[in-house]
Amino acid sequence: MTITLDRRKFLQRIYQVVLAAGAAPLLSFDELLAAEANPAGVGWSRPNLVWLQGAGCSGCSTSFLNVEQITILDFLTYFSRVLYHPNLSSATGEQVPQILNKLTASNKPYILVMEGAIPVAMPHACMMADRPISDWVNVLAAKASACIAVGTCAASGGVSKMAGTLTGAASLDDFLKQRGIKTPLVNLPACPMHPEHLVYTLLHFIKSKGLPELDDARRPRQFFTHSVHERCPRYPAFQARDFAQRIGEEGCLLELGCQGPVTYNDCVAIGYCGNTNNCVRAGHPCIGCAGELFPRPLLYHTHDDPKAKTGLVLKRS
Amino acid sequence: MTAIKITVDPLTRVEGHLKFETRIENGVVASARTSGMLFRGIEKALIGYDPRTALQLTQRVCGVCPYAHAEASALALEDAMGIRPNANGQLLRNLIVGAYQVQDCLFHFYQLSALDFIDVTAVLEYRGADPGLTAMRDWVRNETRSQRIFPAAPFLPRYKGDFLKDKEANLSAVHNYLESFTVMASLHKMVALFGGKSPHPVAIEAGGVTTRPTINNLAQYRTLLNQVERFVQSCYREDILAVAKAFPGYFKEGRGYGNFLSFPYFPDSAGKNHLFAGGATIEGRHTALDLNAITEDHTYSYYKNKSGGGIKPLGANRLEPLDWQEFQREEQLPDGKYSWSRAPRYGGKVMETGAAARVANTYHSGRNPALNHLVDQLNRDLGIGLKDYNSVLGRHLSRYITVSLLLKRLKEQVEQVQPGVLGFNEKEMPRNVKGVGITEASRGALGHWVEIDNKGLIKNYEMVMPTTWNMGPRDSSGQPGAVEKMLIGTRIADPANPLELARIVRSADPCIACSVH
Repeated sequence: MTITLDRRKFLQRIYQVVLAAGAAPLLSFDELLAAEANPAGVGWSRPNLVWLQGAGCSGCSTSFLNVEQITILDFLTYFSRVLYHPNLSSATGEQVPQILNKLTASNKPYILVMEGAIPVAMPHACMMADRPISDWVNVLAAKASACIAVGTCAASGGVSKMAGTLTGAASLDDFLKQRGIKTPLVNLPACPMHPEHLVYTLLHFIKSKGLPELDDARRPRQFFTHSVHERCPRYPAFQARDFAQRIGEEGCLLELGCQGPVTYNDCVAIGYCGNTNNCVRAGHPCIGCAGELFPRPLLYHTHDDPKAKTGLVLKRS
Repeated sequence: MTAIKITVDPLTRVEGHLKFETRIENGVVASARTSGMLFRGIEKALIGYDPRTALQLTQRVCGVCPYAHAEASALALEDAMGIRPNANGQLLRNLIVGAYQVQDCLFHFYQLSALDFIDVTAVLEYRGADPGLTAMRDWVRNETRSQRIFPAAPFLPRYKGDFLKDKEANLSAVHNYLESFTVMASLHKMVALFGGKSPHPVAIEAGGVTTRPTINNLAQYRTLLNQVERFVQSCYREDILAVAKAFPGYFKEGRGYGNFLSFPYFPDSAGKNHLFAGGATIEGRHTALDLNAITEDHTYSYYKNKSGGGIKPLGANRLEPLDWQEFQREEQLPDGKYSWSRAPRYGGKVMETGAAARVANTYHSGRNPALNHLVDQLNRDLGIGLKDYNSVLGRHLSRYITVSLLLKRLKEQVEQVQPGVLGFNEKEMPRNVKGVGITEASRGALGHWVEIDNKGLIKNYEMVMPTTWNMGPRDSSGQPGAVEKMLIGTRIADPANPLELARIVRSADPCIACSVH
């Protein structure tokens, strides 16, 4: 099969996503062309994706739509086959459980993308097609080739598990352990998830049939090795012990509640919305949205807030 | 008489976990129940947190309209503190929430609703050279010929129905569907320029916006704004009008009570002279807004006890959710509780909120001649009147009207920002005070109420959401909720493919994560 000029242009656009996701070492443009010309020859196959939403806000789905350079649709039709997505699928009502049941009965391989936490103590707090979402996750995760927990709610509970909630929300990792499900899992925390992280993880799966190298919290090392603080543009101010006393000043934001030193993510490097901006560049302390303890009960505060001295701790269920 | 039940669970292409049930008698909906099926309990979990936390955490109630929560929460806290942002703070906040509101309206039309009207399979007949459409055509062709388990997912399967017939209009709409992803990403960039990121812009705080405006980020905003405006005034406008002309019956379908509630939205740099007036239109009469008229009822909601006459915002601490056994029991009862959503009422009345309410109330108030002019013009073109805004297409058209006016105002306000001047003043946390903040999300009137204790921590927090107004269940007096009312009386052509019902519910732009929170 030869590649037409239009097709080549199309692939060039596709490749912009690979570049934006930092996945160029995984996949060169020549390899992409070769895969296009002869999909079987290089073992190229588009993974089937099933996207479920538990106790969350759809923010990671909307964040995913911000993938730079091409329409998300090119990506969805080219690099994967999205069998079900709650916000994109035409399928409505009983067509949805039909798809999911047919898929699990078919033994076809697929990846489960989980957005949101899973309310375990109150299964009825999240229902879909007359069944608790925990039932759906149980069935779909057990048969999946891999699970990807997108966003902090799915990765560590996040806002759905904040101190004071009653639903016993579990991260996907905790849920799989509770149910004894051994499917490989990747966590992509951040509130919302960085779309580039998901693109990279999927590309890795397509290329190597496996998951990227993970740390102890099952996060790709590629993105989560450095703290926000280490790469912060205000790090020189920190070294000079120049601390901002109020918003708008140039110094390090630590005394205004910045969570950068305890938050591991690459937002400072890749930013949000195609690297348009990130929280620290916007003059706001990091709120630690990719951290396992997000949300803490005190985020941004004034430098002389007495609560900042004693700390404010609330117990999570 | 033949009666059947149609249950749609889940209703996809909305935010969150929505289920609805209808009882059909002789082909017409006789009764309806709408249910929000996700409960997180974030609102009352905030008790004991630092009040500033609410600005970040209430955004996480909804990943589709976080901007509105950030703004409402900031306004509530500013009300409690007795401060206002300076001119730059107000303008930057407007630039963030305005761009996000436009994104939200486009998202609702193209991603969530368009596939109910346009026929994506029309691309199979495409003969032109547009790279997006040819790629889509080749893909759909290969998929539908393949032996795959779900060919052309996620676009198929779908309900069968009376999709748009006109080939050119279909192709144009499919093209714009694809294009809209890029436009929405541009709008999110505009949000991120001053908000830090999107979704969940971090930089809106009580006291203003933490991002310092520069010549550079203002120029980027302006460039993106011009791109977005081109798309809106050519593609979005054309697609809305094409659908409106092809489906005139949908200016009659989805009629609700016709009682409209909206909050003042999008002020000038001094926080006054809102682009959209607030108020309540009840039985055709426009009245000024009275926040004391708002109550919430949970007779049919999955919480213990029946509430009777309804509770005012901050009037109750935590409602206790039903446990699993109680939930199961209610599900078996013929007249049991059926939603996590509560039922807000305005002086006891069921109110519709959203774009149509915003447009109707502003029109009646006469406060914005540009809006009245645009509405009159569209009404002449389409042969409709203001009463037809209480309909499926009236709601879609009202979103276009919102976007059109907002873009114009954004263009004016981006020029008013003073580069280099910080739009942020902070104040220490007050003690023993209450505050209220009201604004409009794309899907309607949003209010946040906060009460701060003697240690400067949250004592109570209440959010009354647009989708709770629209999608809430019946109340103690048995009045159906706003969308339930819209469904009643609808004729169903094919009970196996209840596309009419899906179109009606989606037209209210439900956001379940918001409605229950």
